[in-house]
Amino acid sequence: MEEASPWLLFAFSVLVIIALGLFAILSTRRLERMPTSRRQSLVELVVESLKNFTMGIIGPKGEKYTPFIGTLFIYILAMNLLGLVPGFKAPTSGLSITVSLAIVVFLVYNAAGILETGFIPYLKHLAGEPLWLAPLMFPIHVIGELARPLSLSIRLFGNIFGEETILVILAGMTYVIIPYVVAIPTQFPIVLFDVFIAFVQALVFSMLSAIYISVAVAGHEAH
Amino acid sequence: MNYFVALALAVGFGLPLAVLSAAMAQGRTASTALEGIARQPEAAGRIQTAMIIGLALIESLVIYALLMFFLLQVKLPETEAVLKIIRGG
Repeated sequence: MEEASPWLLFAFSVLVIIALGLFAILSTRRLERMPTSRRQSLVELVVESLKNFTMGIIGPKGEKYTPFIGTLFIYILAMNLLGLVPGFKAPTSGLSITVSLAIVVFLVYNAAGILETGFIPYLKHLAGEPLWLAPLMFPIHVIGELARPLSLSIRLFGNIFGEETILVILAGMTYVIIPYVVAIPTQFPIVLFDVFIAFVQALVFSMLSAIYISVAVAGHEAH
Repeated sequence: MNYFVALALAVGFGLPLAVLSAAMAQGRTASTALEGIARQPEAAGRIQTAMIIGLALIESLVIYALLMFFLLQVKLPETEAVLKIIRGG
């Protein structure tokens, strides 16, 4: 099973970006204070629920991180669902897209922690409570911090890549059950399950990013 | 030959072991979530969300094992080549 070229996945992700951007531009055309069009109500519903979701995790400081977490959720969901359209391959089924997303999240939550609480308290948070245990706790904390983007990327990649592999294998069995006469689409239940997995993985990725941001922003009060 | 035997056993048994422990953990997660919902039906939405997140996190560990499986599986030898070695040897 050969790996898809990263440039092909990048092309699909650019397609997703263009489609989402067009949708966003078209739906914010004539904004009204009391929305009477269905399109604006739908978009407002989505934005409101994403804002509640983000502020429920980060707290009152979450107002400025709502665009980031919301975009992450919608973008990953759209990329996951693209894999179900015939002829397209999910961009998240390659390690290139997921690792870059995880690196972005890593940079954002570290920058959020440094900007909110300062550079020295952030280092002290990594060092742990009893200051004389710092030479022991600091490497452990650093390795734990590095494990976060690793697990984020591999979780998303593994789920979507595994789903696509199962789809390919089951779709190859279409003509095998009743040999070469009747086509039974054996991959149909997995397609339904894949929609659920797409939602869950996008939710888990964005929720974990929000939790990391909230932990970094809260600093020492959380402990 | 022992190397390939060990490799085949690892490829065969690695993932099912991970799946076994993940299934036990996920079963316990789901059962406690259901107990919580049964006690307080008005908290059902939040408990369900937390349960889905917990299940996804446990599942991600199985995905690591699946990746190991994919990485090791390409190192397994072809059946025809092994049969030729056995017949020729």
